Amino acid sequence: MSGTRPQAQQAVQALQAALAAEHAAVYGYGVAGAMLSGADRATALTDWKLHQEARDTLQEMISMLGATPVAASAAYQLPFTVNNGRTARRLAAALEDGVTQAYLAVVAVTDQKLRTFGALSMLPAANRAAGWRGSTIAFPGMP
Amino acid sequence: MLAASATSLPLFLALSGCREPAVLAGPPPLSADVRVLFTAVTDEQNLISLYKRTMASYSALAPALAPLLAEHDAHLAQLRARIIEPPGKTVPDRVTSKPPIPGTRAAAAALLRSAEQAASTTQLRRIAAAAPSLAQLYASIAASEATHVTALDRV
Repeated sequence: MSGTRPQAQQAVQALQAALAAEHAAVYGYGVAGAMLSGADRATALTDWKLHQEARDTLQEMISMLGATPVAASAAYQLPFTVNNGRTARRLAAALEDGVTQAYLAVVAVTDQKLRTFGALSMLPAANRAAGWRGSTIAFPGMP
Repeated sequence: MLAASATSLPLFLALSGCREPAVLAGPPPLSADVRVLFTAVTDEQNLISLYKRTMASYSALAPALAPLLAEHDAHLAQLRARIIEPPGKTVPDRVTSKPPIPGTRAAAAALLRSAEQAASTTQLRRIAAAAPSLAQLYASIAASEATHVTALDRV
């Protein structure tokens, strides 16, 4: 059973990274939502809530593995200036790309249930990213 | 000094319980990862064929379908790139499923949608047993196909 401990560490690390991405998404949607209106704002609000739920799920999973979930930062450096609807939609797409990428790392862990969890979590994030971007991409989550 | 002669090797093998290397035996069987990759390549080719035949039947759908088809071409290229062609085996290069294209545009789009959904689900099933980097490729393709399902809702 010598491989168990590194495998658990690997799983916790990947889940912590996913949690950090969810924290960033929760923060980022707050910024983006303020610049959006109408249907886009409603979508952003829905997505913001979904990321809060995902964050809570990840916190629980990490705690169950005996680790302390990473906390959200007080503030985040935005990848670019967000000052209108267009840049807000771009930010939302970037947040979803970040979350998709983080879940892709979970797919590489040894635990098969976690792999499936990571893969299933990628699907809605990739879909939301495509919705905000207005187009699909060939390899969601891949660098 | 360590030295072996032509006569000492069989003796060593007999004493150590090892078998002589079977240099004249056939190539080893395909690994599970390669077998799954072969199936994934064929599935992708079938999907590409379905897109091409749909676009040939309904040219009005071509502008919406072309970007999705291009992404499937990229999936196929990546899947093929992961295969080191085993001796005596060639990477599949033929379409094995050709369902008829439905008689209306809406039905044709619906067929593509259900094919994308099925493909995404199949990729997800491949993840558990695959090597980590392959699992990631399957997961990424599954996510891409899930976005295609949504895109096809608007066609």
